[in-house]
Amino acid sequence: MSGLKERLERLRAAAKAAESAGGADPAEREEHGGSDAVPPAPPGNTGLHEAFRKLGVEEMTNDAGTFLLRRIVYPFPYRHGRYGLEELIACAPRLHPVACRQNGKTRSTSRGSRDSETADAPIPTFRGLLFLDTETTGLGVGAGNVPFMIGIGSCTEAAFVVEQGLIRDPGEERAMLTWLTGKFDGVTHLATYNGRSFDWPVLVGRFILNGWRRSGPEPGHLDFLHPSRALWKNTLPSCRLGIVEEERLGIARGPDVSGALAPELYMRYLRDGNPEHLEGVYVHNEKDVLTLAALAIHFGHLLGGGLGSAAPDPADAEERFRTGAWLERHGQPEEARRLYDSLAEEAPAASGSETGFRLALAAKYKRLGKWERAVPLWKRAAELAEKARLPRTDAHLELAIYYEHRAKDYGAALGYAEAALELVRRRLSLLRTPSQFRELKASLEKRIERLNRKLYRESFDLNAGRGRPDLTEQQAGGLPHEYA
Amino acid sequence: MNRLTGKTESMEEWLAFLRTRQDIMENVTYWHTQPARPSRTVPLPDEIHPKLKEALAAKGIGELYTHQAAAFRSVAAGRNVVTVTPTASGKTLCYNLPVLQTLLHDDSARALYLFPTKALAQDQVAELQELANWMEADIKTHTYDGDTPPTVRQAIRNAGHIVVTNPDMLHSAILPHHTKWVKLFENIRFIVIDELHAYRGVFGSHVANVIRRLKRICKFYGSSPQFLCASATIRNPREHAERLVGGPVDLNDDNGAPAGEKHLVFYNPPVVNKQLGIRRSSVLESQKLAGSLLKDGIQTIVFARSRVRVEILLTYLQELVKRELGPKSIRGYRGGYLPKLRREIERGLRNGEIRGVVSTNALELGIDIGQLQACVLNGYPGSIASTWQQSGRAGRRHGSSVTFLVASSNPLDQYLIQNPDYFLGRPPEEARIHPDNLLILLDHVKCAAYELPFEEGDTFGEEKLSDLLEFLAEEKVLHRVGTRWYWMEQGFPAHNISLRSAAQENFVIIDVTEGHRVIGEVDRFGAPTLIHEEAIYLHEGVQYQVEKLDYPEKKAYVREVNVDYFTDANLATELKVLHVDREQLEGPLLRQYGEVMVTAKPTIFKKIRLRTHENIGSGPIHLPEEELHTSGYWFSFSEEETAKRSANDMQMALLGLANVLVHLAPLHLMCDPQDIRVVPQVKAVHNKKPTIYFYDRYPGGIGLSQRLYELHDEILKEAGHLIRGCGCLSGCPACVGPIEEVGLLGKDLALSLLEGIGVRS
Repeated sequence: MSGLKERLERLRAAAKAAESAGGADPAEREEHGGSDAVPPAPPGNTGLHEAFRKLGVEEMTNDAGTFLLRRIVYPFPYRHGRYGLEELIACAPRLHPVACRQNGKTRSTSRGSRDSETADAPIPTFRGLLFLDTETTGLGVGAGNVPFMIGIGSCTEAAFVVEQGLIRDPGEERAMLTWLTGKFDGVTHLATYNGRSFDWPVLVGRFILNGWRRSGPEPGHLDFLHPSRALWKNTLPSCRLGIVEEERLGIARGPDVSGALAPELYMRYLRDGNPEHLEGVYVHNEKDVLTLAALAIHFGHLLGGGLGSAAPDPADAEERFRTGAWLERHGQPEEARRLYDSLAEEAPAASGSETGFRLALAAKYKRLGKWERAVPLWKRAAELAEKARLPRTDAHLELAIYYEHRAKDYGAALGYAEAALELVRRRLSLLRTPSQFRELKASLEKRIERLNRKLYRESFDLNAGRGRPDLTEQQAGGLPHEYA
Repeated sequence: MNRLTGKTESMEEWLAFLRTRQDIMENVTYWHTQPARPSRTVPLPDEIHPKLKEALAAKGIGELYTHQAAAFRSVAAGRNVVTVTPTASGKTLCYNLPVLQTLLHDDSARALYLFPTKALAQDQVAELQELANWMEADIKTHTYDGDTPPTVRQAIRNAGHIVVTNPDMLHSAILPHHTKWVKLFENIRFIVIDELHAYRGVFGSHVANVIRRLKRICKFYGSSPQFLCASATIRNPREHAERLVGGPVDLNDDNGAPAGEKHLVFYNPPVVNKQLGIRRSSVLESQKLAGSLLKDGIQTIVFARSRVRVEILLTYLQELVKRELGPKSIRGYRGGYLPKLRREIERGLRNGEIRGVVSTNALELGIDIGQLQACVLNGYPGSIASTWQQSGRAGRRHGSSVTFLVASSNPLDQYLIQNPDYFLGRPPEEARIHPDNLLILLDHVKCAAYELPFEEGDTFGEEKLSDLLEFLAEEKVLHRVGTRWYWMEQGFPAHNISLRSAAQENFVIIDVTEGHRVIGEVDRFGAPTLIHEEAIYLHEGVQYQVEKLDYPEKKAYVREVNVDYFTDANLATELKVLHVDREQLEGPLLRQYGEVMVTAKPTIFKKIRLRTHENIGSGPIHLPEEELHTSGYWFSFSEEETAKRSANDMQMALLGLANVLVHLAPLHLMCDPQDIRVVPQVKAVHNKKPTIYFYDRYPGGIGLSQRLYELHDEILKEAGHLIRGCGCLSGCPACVGPIEEVGLLGKDLALSLLEGIGVRS
């Protein structure tokens, strides 16, 4: 049996040979060879590298060891994009409904019990918020994914403070985590972007790996990814933080390394010990933390009645509807209604081809019995549907039901039912396989038959000088069922 | 005989009738009868929890078989245990009893169950839940696999008492996320590994490493669970269990379960062409036997070696008995059927609605299908252990059962059918693993480092860990800080590492003459020479030409043709010896073991006219070269021995010998025939001598060649025995190969070569 080392060498040689035979990208090999040639300077803990000093980074030592800390203070007033960070002081408590929604013990409980929890849930204050954003060595929440940089932001009466912990190697992790746990004192909420399913679980995993079990209550979450999705899912190309801040918070970040590059840059630093690789990561993380604060202010204004004043009204009709729906869910029905009404007035004419929000908005008015608002929305949606390549029939159906049972205008109802049937036929012709639309087709045919009967009866009744055909209405059994 | 139904009343009656049938009995080469065995039981131990006693009583269990009691004692004494008893001997209770006993006393205790397949895991959960219900105990048992909905995963992680999963899931989902499983790992008391024998070869070597990782995680959380294993019969259960779990294990093989009388009938299809050594198709003969059993109302399982054969036999049998039984009463069963369908078939077999099933070895494992009365094996399953396991599907605790072993015409089958002593007089094969295969080991060191950093002084397997860690650090996979090594890559290592070997992949052959019809399959390594484009592929005597080979999708499209030639592909196999680890000179023979590099590339194919064998054309083959760095064993003949014959005769002799060895080696290694290769070379590259090479067909080797180095004498002796014992005149597919390949003297040349190196039988 040959020595293990020799065998490993042969393995490596074989792999290299196969690689070159396979025609690996020469540039890649070049780079690989290049980094092999220079013996990596061990990052080590021997004093602080000059490049770190230039970034304003200092060594920090605690019971668990040493790590690096960068601290930046933004004295108030400090403007970040559209908002001044000092607005956080006023805006923080208004985030209470968001905190309640995100930290309910069980999300499936009835409305009543959620209200009772709301009563106990702490109201966010500017002092109790900890903004948190981590940069990790990989993806996912597996045990081998290490946060190498932890950025936190906190707010005092006078300033916003960003602190960034960094480990020069995984051995410094304990020290950085010890520092972080110290920062949790007095914190009621972690304000993050996707922190509920990423940053926080990763950190919990790190605590466990270091043999710690957190005791006491978990901090609450204010994960701004969820409200961002609720508002901007359909109107922004993506809900990445960088897009959101640029499009909605008026922040122009300028040159920035992409967050996805951070792991690669850190690996480079580990290989050659040159802190310059990390400069971009520091800046990126710092800006992310500031943007978290700006987002908190934005949502605070929305929930504090500041829409249209402190924060601009959404220009896009779809976004306005989603904002209304979001406000409605967060206990702001008046503000929501204001948005809906403004929409209802302009939406039928609005140019957007998106039918989704019109139908949803119309459904809200239907529930309130405000037909005069619902019908124009349906009509516009129906017009759009008839032009669409893959038409939906919802608006036609609503109109057919409305005209049959509410307005008792059977002629109009028949018109919409027949148009709906035409649309269904168009859909079916696109498919080879049966779909749920076959059932819809059958029910439409039934409806058309019934309407023809009613129309016939009506003309007969009119001739006979009698009133409306109530009996037929009940026979058809449409009303109670369709409005159930 | 029941006069009303015309069906036999009992197995005994059917067998008596069979013995009178001349047409069948003349092909029976051996009839082995195992007498019935009474049960041996002991009273339930006093300390068993009263609730558990009640539940057992409700299931009709008032006492334990001796092996169940022994397992309980071992576990109570804090030891690991492996139970090795035949199918249907109450093996599951050997581990369920101690686990439930502990869970009833300690609600915080946890257990992890590992099964090689999802289907087995689901069976197990059903059984445990039934017991928990009888006990009215709140013991939560869940499967955790790819099908588990995300919504319940968290509940399972926190509150499941027994988590039932498979090694693949443990490897890629549980261990890398161990911080989410704190409750399990802090309180884990038992790790149950059933079907231990399934973890052999490459798969087993991976699983042994997954278990090393599992133990490492347990240690981190301060737990040290006991291992409760169960296995089908293998020669080395204790050694295998100890290698797999990496610690001492008690052997528990004192089977106390009763068994009825069992008949094992060796059946060799009659010869139809003596000169070419061609026998009647084993598929047709299996069909005849199974059909006869089914027509008489005997519940029967038929095992076939490939998926395609399963389908063929199924079609034949359904046709044959469709008048007597409905079409739904005979079913197929194999990988590729959907889980729902499989459950339906299993249920049907248990309650007797399904009278016959044709299966691949998918039903060899302990899936609960009840006990059938008869079993027909279409071809030797490849190992003694598998044969017993499959034939164990027939056999009730009371009453007789029968198994037919129907030989195919391949040399291994022929050898066994003519040497029943070899089969019956021999313990089943060893299950071998090689967890320290360098590539496999490195894979799992990576995964382990991802899960927890390594510390100086840690161990992981037999190799020197610090060298491995240093190597990975040089490759920038790990990062060393002081005395620790940390995972330092962006990726998630477990995603790129599959526990199951690539040799299981097959190419499907699709006949496009009329519509699309799958007619066969070829293993991955045979594909380049058998189904390259323009090749003539023979299937059941019909010629097909390959029109398109979709290499990435593993499909070959063929069309029926009628031509007067066949094709023969040249495979340029280069074998480079990289390093010699061990060697031994014995007279004219030099035997060596070491590392080899194999490159194989199909180059051209020739069109050869039938009968005249003239070369009538050729063409190139465009397929990628395959490269394999593995371990090999080879032996070379001395110059004096070589000089005794012409180069051509030497070539024929080597070829003939290699043809025999390729079939004998897997038999002795208990490996899949695809796992080991044999290459004869008249003038080997590295020493210019006539040489026969064996190599492991898995990167890095899995210990097969190493074992062959040790088994050399035994296997060569066996080879001589087989060649001499073959009834053919001068070589046939059942020994050295057909005369077209080895010439008219092939058989004698091979024998004289063996005698030249002193092998006599």
